[in-house]
Amino acid sequence: MRYTRFFIRLAVLVCIALKCESGETEFNYVTCGSLVKLLNTRHNVRLHSHDVKYGSGSGQQSVTGVESADDANSYWRVRGKPNEPCQRGAPIKCGQAIRLTHMNTGRNLHTHHFASPLSSNQEVSAFGENGEGDDLDVWTVQCSGTHWERDEAVRFKHKGTDVFLSVTGEQYSHPIRGQREVHGMPSANHHNYWKAMEGVFIKTSVEPRHRDEL
Amino acid sequence: QEGEGLTGAHVFICIISVSVTRDFYKILGVPKSASIRDIKKAYRKLALQLHPDRNKDDPEAQDRFADLGAAYEVLSDEEKRKQYDMYGEEGLKEGHHSSHDDIFSSFFGNFGTFFGGNQRQQDRNVPRGNDIVLDLEVTLEEVYSGNFVEVVRNKPVAKEAPGKRKCNCRQEMRTTQLGPGRFQMTQEVVCDECPNVKLVNEERTLEVEIEQGVRDDMEYPFIGEGEPHIDGEPGDLRFRIKVMKHPVFERRGDDLYTNVTISLVEALVGFEMDIHHLDGHKVHIVRDKITKPGAKVWKKGEGLPNFDNNNIRGSLIVTFDIEFPKEQLDEQQKEGEREKALDGVQGYVQGESERQDVNGSIGQEVLCSIFKHFPVSHLQ
Repeated sequence: MRYTRFFIRLAVLVCIALKCESGETEFNYVTCGSLVKLLNTRHNVRLHSHDVKYGSGSGQQSVTGVESADDANSYWRVRGKPNEPCQRGAPIKCGQAIRLTHMNTGRNLHTHHFASPLSSNQEVSAFGENGEGDDLDVWTVQCSGTHWERDEAVRFKHKGTDVFLSVTGEQYSHPIRGQREVHGMPSANHHNYWKAMEGVFIKTSVEPRHRDEL
Repeated sequence: QEGEGLTGAHVFICIISVSVTRDFYKILGVPKSASIRDIKKAYRKLALQLHPDRNKDDPEAQDRFADLGAAYEVLSDEEKRKQYDMYGEEGLKEGHHSSHDDIFSSFFGNFGTFFGGNQRQQDRNVPRGNDIVLDLEVTLEEVYSGNFVEVVRNKPVAKEAPGKRKCNCRQEMRTTQLGPGRFQMTQEVVCDECPNVKLVNEERTLEVEIEQGVRDDMEYPFIGEGEPHIDGEPGDLRFRIKVMKHPVFERRGDDLYTNVTISLVEALVGFEMDIHHLDGHKVHIVRDKITKPGAKVWKKGEGLPNFDNNNIRGSLIVTFDIEFPKEQLDEQQKEGEREKALDGVQGYVQGESERQDVNGSIGQEVLCSIFKHFPVSHLQ
């Protein structure tokens, strides 16, 4: 009858619409091995590190939040736990333990029982050499669904000390004027939400086909 | 006579319709059964060769490059390829056509400066954004068979914005006169005025090829896909290959090394076995001689393809370990084994004398003494 024809047309339209939506870059996951810039959604700064050491606390390489969007020193690589490499291109699951390795200096996002210089929260530093540090480099990705999606704000909870990666707005002066302090806080709140922004996201690959399958 | 005329007309029409439809498989040089990976690999290789900038003297270069792009666009898309296979080029619906430049740059980056090596050197004063280097872990299976990795590059791009901004800021020394014979030199920041820009995030998919035989630390650059520079050019994105350790095979150059453990019996009487290679095919090994611990078997052509010439392959070297029983046998077990061994040996020796063994057969006494010292669990 008329209704069936209408529904068929509607179904066809929906199918076409869905096909149109699935453009080339429908790929929405943060995957193992990807390079990513992380934006703190409350304070609008990107997680950043550089060859500048803390003048107090541990004296290790400092980690800050910067306003600029085009600084290569804000790139971090998503990797698995020590001795447990994750598979290249595999979407990171919510609750999965990862390391974030600073691209330019090869040091891992790290926190420990030292006080941060401006707010006296827990100091967050960049630690290790060539991507290898210690067990205090491990963070758990907390998100609401099953996998870490690029347009979702997630939290990073430290495996060893249970603090959340946060920014509360304190600013440094010379020589890193304007950069914000990044530290660890025990409570989950709106200061510890981060979103994946710019980066190079590796898509999930298919293994090379076996000869007997061809 | 009429029949001839009709045939002639038919042939004429046939020729016309064939010359209008392009054979995309032929353009890419791939068989009809080619996988998507084969198609990408063929495009990447040919695109470098056929790019118009590289063939400035060839008037047909532009057309050939366009044909290549069209072939890739259709055959790399599952839907379009199906339609093309069934209905030919006319059967393709008028869909969205990616520009051939877009396709090329998804494999190589922004080609504007790719072939203009000279341009790059001239513009050494143009500031450049940072390069991005990404370590790409690859498996030995991928080194053997090749692969393509798709990545999504999300990057800030400078776009025009209303108004002006300060650019090319630099320190300059200014000399001011304070009085007769008295001068003061001060440092001032001096800027030019430029059109205003804002940074907008854009995304595109890039195709990174893991070429057969690729070696550790080799890099694949994508021009202009690095960080932008507001006053200049963007840097590059480089993928650095890192070959991961394999649980079974060890790579040394183009050769592969692996260890296989055989039983004591197999070591003495020989064996037949298959080794599963990196792409699943079986490498058959037959031994009918004694295999000593540490003995090696060389399988030529079963190694990795050479990076510079994929037709040359290294060798697979299999080293044999012999498995001895883990625990000592008690007296009863030892007696039992000696009995079994003697029975078996007689059969073996009989068999031995029937076979023609170039290296010479082993005497019965020698075998007995061997079996006395090395307990054997099964002897068939």
